[in-house]
Amino acid sequence: MMKHWAIAASAAALAVTWSAPDAAAQKSKDTLRVAWQYTVENVDNYFNTNREGILFSRMVWDTLVDRDPKTFKTIPNLATSWKWADDRTLEMELRQGVKFHNGEEFDADDVVFTLNWISNPENKVINQSNVSWIEKVEKLDKFKVRIISKKPFPAALEFLTIPIVMYPNEYYAKVGPKEMGLKPIGTGPYKVTKIEPAKEYTLERWEGHFEGGSKPHAKIKNIVIRTIPEMSTQIAELLAGGIDWAWYVPTDQADRLERVPSLKVDRSETMRTGYIGFDASNRTSNKAINDVRVRQAIAHAIDRDAIIKNLIGGASRKIHAPCFPTQFGCDDSVATKYEYDPAKAKKLLADAGYANGFDLDFYAYRPRDWAEAIMGYLTAVGIRPKLQHMTYIAVRDKNHEGVTPMYFMDWGSYSINDVSALLPNFFGGSPDDFARDADVQKWLAAGGSTVDEKVRKENYSNAIKRITERAYWLPMFSFVTNYAYTKDLDFTPFADELPRYYLYGWK
Amino acid sequence: MATTSTLFGPGRLSPEQMLAPSPTALLRRRIFGHRSLMFGALVLGLMLLMGLGAWFIAPHDPYAQSLATRRLPPIWHAWFWDDPKATWNHVLGTDKVGRDYLSRLIYGARISLLIGVATMLLSGIIGTTLGILAGYFGGRVDLVVTFLITTRLSMPVVMVALAVVALYGSSLEVVILVLGFLLWDRFAVVMRSVTMQARSLDYVTAAQAIGCSTPYILLREILPNILNSLVVVATVEMANAILLEAALSFLGLGVQPPLPSWGLMLSEAKEDMFFSPWMITLPGICLFLLVLSINLLGDGVRDVTAPENRN
Amino acid sequence: MLSYAFKRLLLALLVVLTVSGITFTLTNAAIDPAKALAGESATMADIEAIRKAYGFDRSYLVQYFDWLGGALTGELGESYRMRRPVSVLLLERLPVTMTLGVCALSFALLLSIPLGVVAALKPNSPVDRLALSLSVLGQALPTFWFALMMIILFGVILRWLPISGSDTWLHFVMPSVALGYYATPAFMRLTRAGMIEVLASDYIRTARAKGLRPASVLFKHALRNAVIPVVSLAAVQFGFMLGGSVVIETIFALHGVGFLAWESISRSDIPVVQAIVLLISLFYIVLTLLADLLNAYLDPRIRVA
Repeated sequence: MMKHWAIAASAAALAVTWSAPDAAAQKSKDTLRVAWQYTVENVDNYFNTNREGILFSRMVWDTLVDRDPKTFKTIPNLATSWKWADDRTLEMELRQGVKFHNGEEFDADDVVFTLNWISNPENKVINQSNVSWIEKVEKLDKFKVRIISKKPFPAALEFLTIPIVMYPNEYYAKVGPKEMGLKPIGTGPYKVTKIEPAKEYTLERWEGHFEGGSKPHAKIKNIVIRTIPEMSTQIAELLAGGIDWAWYVPTDQADRLERVPSLKVDRSETMRTGYIGFDASNRTSNKAINDVRVRQAIAHAIDRDAIIKNLIGGASRKIHAPCFPTQFGCDDSVATKYEYDPAKAKKLLADAGYANGFDLDFYAYRPRDWAEAIMGYLTAVGIRPKLQHMTYIAVRDKNHEGVTPMYFMDWGSYSINDVSALLPNFFGGSPDDFARDADVQKWLAAGGSTVDEKVRKENYSNAIKRITERAYWLPMFSFVTNYAYTKDLDFTPFADELPRYYLYGWK
Repeated sequence: MATTSTLFGPGRLSPEQMLAPSPTALLRRRIFGHRSLMFGALVLGLMLLMGLGAWFIAPHDPYAQSLATRRLPPIWHAWFWDDPKATWNHVLGTDKVGRDYLSRLIYGARISLLIGVATMLLSGIIGTTLGILAGYFGGRVDLVVTFLITTRLSMPVVMVALAVVALYGSSLEVVILVLGFLLWDRFAVVMRSVTMQARSLDYVTAAQAIGCSTPYILLREILPNILNSLVVVATVEMANAILLEAALSFLGLGVQPPLPSWGLMLSEAKEDMFFSPWMITLPGICLFLLVLSINLLGDGVRDVTAPENRN
Repeated sequence: MLSYAFKRLLLALLVVLTVSGITFTLTNAAIDPAKALAGESATMADIEAIRKAYGFDRSYLVQYFDWLGGALTGELGESYRMRRPVSVLLLERLPVTMTLGVCALSFALLLSIPLGVVAALKPNSPVDRLALSLSVLGQALPTFWFALMMIILFGVILRWLPISGSDTWLHFVMPSVALGYYATPAFMRLTRAGMIEVLASDYIRTARAKGLRPASVLFKHALRNAVIPVVSLAAVQFGFMLGGSVVIETIFALHGVGFLAWESISRSDIPVVQAIVLLISLFYIVLTLLADLLNAYLDPRIRVA
């Protein structure tokens, strides 16, 4: 009897709690209310560094070429065709009839101005490696330009697809980054109606958007984006009908939000790869980790399948090579595969002389339960890990100082589908390099300095084989991004973690 | 409570005083008659026992994790909602990596009490010393202490905690040191003002007049008079430290997992609070009871030892 | 008197210099500003380029004096992250935090003063005990836990109040209650104690003897006198609330100075951090000065210094 009463009471509570929020009202107002956790401090595309900044850029500005989100092929956008004149020269034809939000016409002047401005180090663009490859840009005709890189740069087209957007030359020359951050002007499907910097952004569909590019006209009229730093508040707002879309929802909460009738949840695999890095070059004072057998032992000690199944969920997959499987050069077949085998791990540790285990500082910044799960597996084979959980920047700082014997990090490659956006950073001899392997450095340099695909693949495969053999890294899994949104929204997630708001409409 | 100064030897009792109950008996009567004091002492005592005897009481190892049995619901889910996953083996369920929740709550008492006591002692020693010195000597000493207090107040706790954690990582020791070296301001302010008042009392000036040494005066005359306020501030700061640790854990600057601190458990459960409300309610209630009992104890001690200060 | 004022001024200057110096060193040492500015996906080349471009490779002393020189002339510099003048940023954020602080304080006073008066009228009665219990309960709750509970009840289940943002006055209800409740017991006790003392004093007995009505005696005379210590405590509590607003501002997405401070420190945005700490230290200097003057005024014994 008690049971029935309790069931009835909880059903009533559920009905009251999660009855359909007024999503109909938002649909009728044609406004999508989006929540982001991280602030875009300056919406000027060249002066912010987080993913949300890219999302904003894609709504307001356009790139010369774009990427098909499903096939990852390069497709025309503001440039209609292009060809490589030689190893360093790219010639592009531009689209005609495109206008900026303020009425300015788009032509070669804008391209020349934008690219020359951003590649000039005096202008202090934040992500220099996105722009420093450009030597100069010349105008060939009103709708034709020539881009010259300093050295042969095979990934040039990749870099022109996402991070480099075209600014209106007359407007930008007049107002500079300060005003562009407060009153952005671009060619994209949305124009900005109001900005409360770092707090709230209001965008409206622009009726003068050009035809034929990679982005269609926007379907939803208004988009309001608010920065809500606390995830539990975002979940509360989703439940109460205060916002319509959120992402990076933790897996457990995504599972539960799915059961709420007014919401939908999508889990999408991304290009972001998680990995455990080890000090294999004696940079830290931890002697044990320098021994390849110890690193291999750790690789065998962690049950990646269990972590993926229980903690990550969705379409995450275990990866063996230190890159994302679709990236050019990411050869899974040559990678050494470490299966979950705690007995073998213990034996390897004993062989290396650590039958009684050893102490280990473990640095991480991602969700604590992932770090704790990893530590649990280490404890089970006798190792004594101590967690140092800090912010991403703090861990990276400690990396560079060389005090991190073991660390759990991840890399999104800036969504660039080429291993040259990942491997040279971590195995190319920089302070991020804990392997200091001269051969690997040589192969990576060779792979990045030619456009011959066969040569590149061969070099990268050699590097991957060495890296996994000697367990410089233990590649863990691909990250899954969880999206939660109102069921009235027709939404599709993409593997490059870049929601394209102009593609979505109401159901 | 001591109505006669020790300076002139044990006080001579009048006939009325000799027939009345002894001061200690009176005190005992007052203590046991004070209901909130008893409640506070009882709860605090229970928590202390729980913390000390955790090894015996807790059903499981609070650190033992098992991904296969993660996020089990508490036992009442089996009663009301027929959930087969709820078992008596884990009465209050398990957390995100499969550790027994009840065991973590029990061990959590240790961490919270440790943080409270250690921080209170550290900040108490610093603040009381500074406060007494400033209040007694005045002049330049007072100016220096005022400078220190104002400097300390201008540096927000969160900011210092963030910087220290970025430099040294966060851990139990770091939390205690950071809080201990930051929370002394109220001790200093209160002790300073109380000392200033005590300094001008008759028997203190008399002691000075007959030439007693300064340390003697500080220890034997001033200290007993300000003990009352000291106890009150100590309990307030202990409660404060425990709550601040919870706030630091919320911001990610508190103790590190897998330590079972109630503040950390609260912070870990916040995203889940709509779907698994027990995970955030239970540690919250534990913290609440602990802090409440400390406050009641402090209030009670003050009431009982100096009823004229009752406010 | 003049030498006293001069001494305090010197003290104030010393505090400001010390605090800003410590903050500068601490923030720089804790998080590399070049890395913070470069962001997550930055390569080493990016980071070094920023380090040179923004002058982070100079010694701390040089950088600090650079900032100090500017600050003395009122030039607080520009935020590294937002590339906007710090003063403009602060002016944008201050209203939210001030509103939050004032509302929280008002809530605390509105709750505690009536409770304190009622309790004082009948000391040690059940009413008194109830009032004391209510206030003590609030002091034992972690603020963020209380805030989250309110969000569940009033935001999600009942849908009476909006959850995040700062657009309307309704948005400030939950944050103010969460922030202000903690101070209620202190105010309540103070009011109660002050009222009891004043009610028993000669001043009131004379007023009663003169035949004034009890209500007017109460409100006009007693309350006015009892409220003085509450006022000074209120000023101090206001300061604490500004400090404690980081957690509340984060939870309720109120973009005020507290949240700005948190983000700026996390991302090593040094000009903003320095400016905020400067603001706080000036606030406390003025506060301690006023408190000391008030104490000296009220209690002549303390002036012996």
